[in-house]
Amino acid sequence: MILKAILKGFAPRPERREIFTILLLIAEIIIFSLISKNFLSTQNLSTVLRNATDLAIIAIGMTMVMIMGGIDISVGSSLGVVAIIIGWMIQADFHPLLIVLAAMAVGTGIGFINGALITYTKIPDIITTLGTSNILRAAVFAMLGGRWLTGLPPVFSWMTAGNFFGIPTSFFLLLAFYLVFWYFMTFRPSGRHIYAIGNGLEATKLAGVDVNRTRMKAYGILGALVGFAALLYVGRLGSVEITVGIDLPMQAIAAVVIGGTSVKGGSGSVIGTLAGVLFMAVMRNGIVLLGIPSLWERFVIGLLILISVGVDLFISHQTKRRQQMQLAQQRQAELSVVSH
Amino acid sequence: MKEKLNHALYIILGNRVYFLIGLIAIVVIIMSSMSPYFLTVNNMLGMTRFGAVLALVALGETLVILAGGGGIDLSVGAILSLSGILFGIMMKAGIPLWAAALACIVIAGILGAVNGLTIAKLGLPPLIGTLGTMYAYGALALVLSKGVPVSGFPKEFGFLGQGMILKIPVQVLLVVVPVFIFLQFITSKTKFGRNIYLVGVNEQAARFAGISVVNTRFVLYTLSGILAGFGSIIMASYLMTARADVGNGLELQAITVAMLGGTNIMGGTGSLTGTILAVLIVTMVASGLQLANVNTIWQLAVLGLILLGAVAINQAISNRDAKRHGIA
Repeated sequence: MILKAILKGFAPRPERREIFTILLLIAEIIIFSLISKNFLSTQNLSTVLRNATDLAIIAIGMTMVMIMGGIDISVGSSLGVVAIIIGWMIQADFHPLLIVLAAMAVGTGIGFINGALITYTKIPDIITTLGTSNILRAAVFAMLGGRWLTGLPPVFSWMTAGNFFGIPTSFFLLLAFYLVFWYFMTFRPSGRHIYAIGNGLEATKLAGVDVNRTRMKAYGILGALVGFAALLYVGRLGSVEITVGIDLPMQAIAAVVIGGTSVKGGSGSVIGTLAGVLFMAVMRNGIVLLGIPSLWERFVIGLLILISVGVDLFISHQTKRRQQMQLAQQRQAELSVVSH
Repeated sequence: MKEKLNHALYIILGNRVYFLIGLIAIVVIIMSSMSPYFLTVNNMLGMTRFGAVLALVALGETLVILAGGGGIDLSVGAILSLSGILFGIMMKAGIPLWAAALACIVIAGILGAVNGLTIAKLGLPPLIGTLGTMYAYGALALVLSKGVPVSGFPKEFGFLGQGMILKIPVQVLLVVVPVFIFLQFITSKTKFGRNIYLVGVNEQAARFAGISVVNTRFVLYTLSGILAGFGSIIMASYLMTARADVGNGLELQAITVAMLGGTNIMGGTGSLTGTILAVLIVTMVASGLQLANVNTIWQLAVLGLILLGAVAINQAISNRDAKRHGIA
């Protein structure tokens, strides 16, 4: 009885599903800070934030693409390709600004190729990006030639390691990116078109939206964000290894799903995704702090994916039932009016 | 003239089996010009060894995709790794070979059934459901083995993965061929097999015809797990160790092969024969590149290109079919 009441009161409605993830994140932080004394130290928290920055930025793009009903599994390999190019340019002493531009350009280019293949050949998103992911992974191997890029001068490390008024630079970066994209997705027409496509491609087309262009744009933006994240990656690690980004697509998808974006597209938000990224980052940190072997980390992430999608299913069933009930009540009311 | 050419092209591309056989001929010609050792009976037969595990996993993947509803199984590689590790641990604990093998296949079936339960019964999207279990199973394999390969199998066990009967690799003759014949019989001659196609073509119609969509899909995810279990034993015998990373990337290859074999990603059309021919092509390309001393990393790129090309052709054909029948 009580449980039912609690569920009814707290069951998040789809339109503010991200609150659920934020509550989870807060609960997680409270639990870890009670268990481990080191957790709430400034140093630990800023490490968590710094290590999560590149994932958080890619997750923005992944959110857009997934809201649109698509998916991109090639982000890890394309991050690898861009990171290697960045490494080469750093070694060749290019101007940092030029490197930033090149990274974003290459990333955007890869994103557009994905988008064009998906839009014009009508190959499903997952298959296209699976294919390009393979090709780009081979490119990573070929470009590295079996040797790691190591000992890169820290040209970009200020972006993750630096502080600004005693607060990690990562914090401001994330704030800026998420504000911009929250505004874009909530208030700009292009952003709303992305939601519309996720809810019904044909209907959106009939409403006069250039669907192909919007889809290309979304994949292009995701590519640009991957390019930027590659800068952070190189700045953070100072090296590029052969397995670069191999886990990244799964982590980004996990963060987006945990953050409440519907797997079928049509609903979700970047704020939820940020909560999802932080939730996963804190979980990883907590696992280390508690002394649990880090091999369990992937197991926990897998379970989290299943649980959060399960929660979404439960919510959508509830909403559907509520709508049906309302419809039935309305009909009954109409009938009684007619009979009087 | 152009019409005629188009029509001829359509017939070749439209019948997937002809298309694949043609592709095999092309691959054979290219590969044998690159290496003189390629076109020998020993090499051709011996090569099938490398395709055995992929063939088993890909057959399961094909059936899962065929049954529609966005069906896909990303966890096959992880199931293969996990059941292989468990098999290794059981062997080390002194459990007799046949019992360990049986237990391994049952466990793999249960792992597949978990997918079936969450996806078919509870309604999780297949992509995300199996992504979750892929993570969970893969991590369990690592945790159980502590990241160290399990080895120390008896020498006789290697026969399955390394032996030959009549110059044919044992695992192909005794496992892959019987499994393929059995599954081919099921899909083409039994009611259940026809149900798979109907469920894939039109879920609603299948339901009205009194077919349980949920049960059909549940069985197929379980079957996919069982086939991965077979694969794990073969793999353990071939390598004589059980490793937690042995199945990494296998799901990708399996999906690629199913697509190349002509299975529609939306379900409903495709055949196991196509999948087997596609496995042959991919195996030939891989071992041909190896013989020709081309770096193995390019296999990934080739696989990616084949995948994109194959699906693009599938799409073009189904678009054309739709136009012909006046649907689109």
